[in-house]
Amino acid sequence: MADAAPHPDGIPGSRLSGPWPVGDYAAALRDRLRGFKRVQVFGEVFGLKLGRAKVWFELRDSSGALPCSMWRKDWDLLGLDTLGDGAVVVAAGGCDFYPGSRASSPSFSFAVTKLRVAGEGDLLAQVERLRRALAEEGLFEPQKRLPRPSLPRVIGVVSGEGGKARDDVLAGLRRRGWAGTIVWAFAPVQDRHAAPAITRALQDLAACEEVEVIVVARGGGSLADLFAFCDETLCRTVALLRVPVISSVGHHTDRTLIDDVAAVACSTPTHAAEAAVPVDCAAARAQRQRLAGRLERRSRLAIVERARVLARLSRAPADHVERHRTRLRQHARELRATARRRLETSGRHTSTTALVLERKVRAASGAEQVQHARNLERLALALAAHEPQRALERGYALVEDPSGEPVTSAAAVREHAELTLRLHDGTVSVRPQPYGDRS
Amino acid sequence: MSDAATATYETACTRIEEIIRRLDSGEAGLRETLDLCKEGSRLVEFCAGELDAVAHGLEELRLDELVARLEAGSRPGATAHAA
Repeated sequence: MADAAPHPDGIPGSRLSGPWPVGDYAAALRDRLRGFKRVQVFGEVFGLKLGRAKVWFELRDSSGALPCSMWRKDWDLLGLDTLGDGAVVVAAGGCDFYPGSRASSPSFSFAVTKLRVAGEGDLLAQVERLRRALAEEGLFEPQKRLPRPSLPRVIGVVSGEGGKARDDVLAGLRRRGWAGTIVWAFAPVQDRHAAPAITRALQDLAACEEVEVIVVARGGGSLADLFAFCDETLCRTVALLRVPVISSVGHHTDRTLIDDVAAVACSTPTHAAEAAVPVDCAAARAQRQRLAGRLERRSRLAIVERARVLARLSRAPADHVERHRTRLRQHARELRATARRRLETSGRHTSTTALVLERKVRAASGAEQVQHARNLERLALALAAHEPQRALERGYALVEDPSGEPVTSAAAVREHAELTLRLHDGTVSVRPQPYGDRS
Repeated sequence: MSDAATATYETACTRIEEIIRRLDSGEAGLRETLDLCKEGSRLVEFCAGELDAVAHGLEELRLDELVARLEAGSRPGATAHAA
C-alpha cells in the first residue's frame, strides 16, 4: 500500500535527507531501539493491566517513568496474581518499539523478560508462593472442617505475654458472658524465635484434651513484624491440629498465612473471642428462660385445653337430652294451648248447637208438654184425695202407738198400754181397756 | 460458619424452637404433645447445664499450671464447678 503512494518532494530549502516513508523510518527506529543494551531497571509499579497476550504497567521513580510490557506467559511463570500500585520490582529487558501501521498506533515499551518483586513486595511474593503451595496441598480445609463447640469450657490462647491482644481477648470473652477457663500459652510474637515458639505453644495446648478451641492473637504491625505468622512450619502445624484454631493477627487489612489455614480468621481479638464462644452466654441464659417458660406454658395449655374439650364432650350427651326435653316441653305447651283453643271453639259451637236444638225442640214439642202438665195436675189432685188429713177432716181418727206408728188392728191395740188418737184438729192420749170391762 | 461448627447447644436450641412451633400450631395430638413437652424439657435442662458450665467465674491458668493440674489428676474448672 505504502509502495503505491506517490513519493512527495521534500521541503524546499531543507537540508535534511528524505523525505522517507514513515514505515521505513519506524522500522529503522525499532531496529535501533532493539539494539540498545539490555539492562535491569527498578522502580514502583503503577497501572498494571493483564491482557490475554501481554501485561502492561509503568515503572516509575521520582525522576522518570518507563512504559513496560511483558508477555503474559512470562508473567504467569512468576506466580504473581497481581501487583498493587507502588510495589517495588526489578525488571530485566530492553527497549522495544512497535512501528504501528495505517490501522494501528505505534508504541514504545521496555520489554520485560524477567521480573522480581523487591523490598516488602519480595516478602509478599514469598508469602504468595507459600500460600499457593499450601492451598494446592489442601491445607486450608482441615481446620474449617473441625466442629467448633458453641460453649467451650476451656479455651487456649496464644499471645504475647504483655500484649494488648491478651487484654482484648479477655474483655471480649467477658462481654460474651463467658466464665470458663482460659489457658494462656505466652510466646514471642515477632522476632525470629516467634514462629517456633508459637508452633510449640499450639502443639502443647492441643495436646491437652480439655482445651476445646485455641485463639492465636496478636496486634497490628508491618508485614515484616507479622511474618512469623506466615511461617511454613507454623502454618502446616496449625492446619493439622485436632483443635480448631481461631486467628486474630494484625489489622483487618493484613492477611497472614495462619489466617488461611485457621478454622476462622478474625480481624480483632474481640472478634476472635466471639468466634471462640459463638453463643452469647448472657443472651442465651435469657433465651433459655424464655424457651423454658414458653414450653411450660404450652405444655400446661395443651393439657388444660384438652381437659376443656373433654369436659365439653362429656357434657354433650346431657346437653343433647336437655335440648330435646326443652323442645318436648315446648311442644306439649303448644299442644295444650291448641287443644284448649279447639275445646273452647268446640264448646262455643256445641252451646250454640244446643241452644238451636233447644229452641227447635221447644218449638216442636210445645203442645205435648201442655198435655203432660194437665195429666200431672190430675194425678196431683188424685193423690191429694188420698191424703190422711182429708180422712181426718171427714171425722176419722188415726191410732198411733207411742212411737208414732199407726196401729191398725185390735190385737196391736191390746199390746200397748197407751195410744194416741190423731184427729184433724189435734191428738188425744187414750188407755185401751178390754171390751168386757166396759160393761 | 459450617454446619459442623454449630455444636449441640445450638442444635438443642433449634430443636426447642421447632418443638414450640409445633406445639403452637395446635396440630399435635395429645400423645405427641406430651412427648414433645418431655423432649423440650430435657433439652432445656441440657442447655441450662451447658450454660452453667461456663458461669462459675472466669479462671485463668498458664499452660504449665494446666499441665501440673492435669498431672495431679484434677480437671480444669473442677474447683470452680465444685464451688
